[in-house]
Amino acid sequence: MKDKVVIAISGGVDSSVAALLLKEQGHEVVGITMCLGVAAEEGGRTKCCGPREIEDARRVCQLLEIPHYTMDFSGDLEEHIVKPFVDEYARGRTPNPCVACNRHIKFGTLLDKVTAMGFDFIATGHYARLEKKGGRSALSLSKETRKDQTYFLHAIKRETLDRIRFPLADLTKEEVRQIARKHRLPVSDKQESQDICFIPEEGYGAFLRTRSIDVKPGEFVDCAGQVLGIHRGFALYTLGQRARLGGWSGEPLYVLGIDARKNRVVVGGKANLMSPGLVADRVNLLVDNLPARAIAKIRYAHRGSACTVSLDGDLLRIVFDEPQEAITPGQYVVLYDDGVVLGGGVIQEVLN
Amino acid sequence: MKAIYLDYAATTPVDPEVIEAMHPYFRETFGNPSSIHSFGQQARTAVEDAREKVASSLGAKPAEIVFTSSGTESDNYAIKGIACANRRKGNHIITTTVEHHAVMEPSHFLEREGFEVTFLPVDSHGLVDPQEIARAITGKTVLVSIMHANNEIGTLQPIAEIGKITRERGVCFHTDAVQTFGHMPFTVDDLNVDLLSLSAHKLYGPKGVGALYIRQGVRLEPHMHGGEQEGKRRASTHNVPGIVGLAKAVDLAQRFMSEEGSRIAALRDKLIRGLFDRIDRVRLNGHPDRRLANNVNISVGYCEGEAMILSLDLMGIACSTGSACSSTSVEPSHVLRAIGLSIEETRGSLRFSLGRYTEESEIDQVLEVLPKIVRRLRAMSPAYRSISAGRGTGG
Repeated sequence: MKDKVVIAISGGVDSSVAALLLKEQGHEVVGITMCLGVAAEEGGRTKCCGPREIEDARRVCQLLEIPHYTMDFSGDLEEHIVKPFVDEYARGRTPNPCVACNRHIKFGTLLDKVTAMGFDFIATGHYARLEKKGGRSALSLSKETRKDQTYFLHAIKRETLDRIRFPLADLTKEEVRQIARKHRLPVSDKQESQDICFIPEEGYGAFLRTRSIDVKPGEFVDCAGQVLGIHRGFALYTLGQRARLGGWSGEPLYVLGIDARKNRVVVGGKANLMSPGLVADRVNLLVDNLPARAIAKIRYAHRGSACTVSLDGDLLRIVFDEPQEAITPGQYVVLYDDGVVLGGGVIQEVLN
Repeated sequence: MKAIYLDYAATTPVDPEVIEAMHPYFRETFGNPSSIHSFGQQARTAVEDAREKVASSLGAKPAEIVFTSSGTESDNYAIKGIACANRRKGNHIITTTVEHHAVMEPSHFLEREGFEVTFLPVDSHGLVDPQEIARAITGKTVLVSIMHANNEIGTLQPIAEIGKITRERGVCFHTDAVQTFGHMPFTVDDLNVDLLSLSAHKLYGPKGVGALYIRQGVRLEPHMHGGEQEGKRRASTHNVPGIVGLAKAVDLAQRFMSEEGSRIAALRDKLIRGLFDRIDRVRLNGHPDRRLANNVNISVGYCEGEAMILSLDLMGIACSTGSACSSTSVEPSHVLRAIGLSIEETRGSLRFSLGRYTEESEIDQVLEVLPKIVRRLRAMSPAYRSISAGRGTGG
């Protein structure tokens, strides 16, 4: 059936190929590039929505003969993503803005707008899959397991799943590149960006300083509070990260905790990073009921570990079969069962 | 369905007669007007004929017309040229907060170079008060630059009245007439101006050619240095086909102007009335009657211009908004902000600009399509739902 579909096209290879596939399937496709107001400085590194990226997206749409527009989401980015991101950092936590962007912007404001404009679906170049299970849409792993992006998508509202398409569900990244090359898309060999789009080239420190977060040296301490060295500013550290102290010759030290108020970073041996479980809140469910057993991922790069799950009101309690390393408050925990995303939440507390 | 173009203020299609007039100057009469030989002389004749045409349409002398590449270049030349030539006399410039970027940016540039620029505010209709200009003039003022008609909201400024004041005070007066030249009858003496910018592509002529009227005796520092073209005021090989095209477009404009103006104004009024009848919470931006015959600028409450424009374009209707995401900026229109609109109202703005080929059936089509788009978009707006629900409980 011919649907009216908007492809959220970034100027990268994935969304460009997704647009191409939709067009080949015979849908009525319109490309929209979200302008987030974080254009690269003149001569700077390419950013997700800098002028060059928008130009690439436009060029691809011209080649595919589909209409292309840019829409301004700079206000939404600031309100829903950047402000909460900065607030979390100020508390010494490490947030994941891409999860929030998918929930509030791509599959939030943008989806609402294109629905109001009369489109049936929104599509993106994410590596993820949607399939019907018991009459409802379920989010599950794509063929490209190494680059699967369901972790970033777990927080989108369940009722929106029926209006979403992921055309890359059955392709690997290499296959996507091959398709792009075969069709001579000008973006086929572009590098993918691993960075957060609104963080400038100068890095987190520079960005946080523009947001009035005082990034200044403070003390590394051990669990007993004894000072071991000087760090560059608490906001630049993430739990579980290896801490390099000048002149330290003992066993390797890792960040165990961050005290934002005192600008202190607590460090200790690797064994101290292990913990048996966690409690998460702001839970988003993509299924009717959570099973008692599941696989949990505690960060994007985590392979996932078997656990026992219980949901009490809005609190999700997860106990792992094996203790896990560096469970980080502020990060998302995402639950899977046989490749299906059950939902997830924000890690609030680490169990001892 | 035939696409409907309602963005004539952005640019116009070239009239077939203009194309025909330009045609011989690409291959047959291709000479360089600066050359001595017969090829050059023929091209030179074409340029000088064109100069006479443009000059006479403005009630000016041919020597007072300098051909440029665009309205933007004319504005830059006028403002920077006057500023540089009068450094010893003074360093103060007066303009308004609603000028085109082609005037705003040279003004900001001069500020960085040590000039003082007064940006006068306008009222809620976009009008500047001539008395405020009189008050702002000091002994250091070297230029007043006020646009003839605003490109976004269509408001016509009291240029003749301002010109009287500047003349009495002995201050040079520039107007950007890009939106009015060829659309309304006037001469430079009617307007009391010393400098006037115009552009061909807003009056069914080609892109890449414009002109600056410079009253005899007014001295400007040239900004293009090179050959001796244009009396050494603007070096650069003449764009002969473009200049010929501009003259032909002026010729046609003079022929059609009065009839076309009233026809377009009637369509404009029909569109405004129709939009007010069919859509609630809509406001007209700009002056109710002191406005361009072809300009309709509205703000639709609880609706984003971006979404409206996109929906209209997908239905084959082209117009513009005061708050669109171009590839580098998402700044809301400085003009709409200057007349007191909130950021919200700026976001909900749409500009339709009509022209020579606009037909009544196209206006009917807009009136048919836009209310439906607005209803659909508003259905998704929580803010609109809550106010319309509030209204519902009352009745």
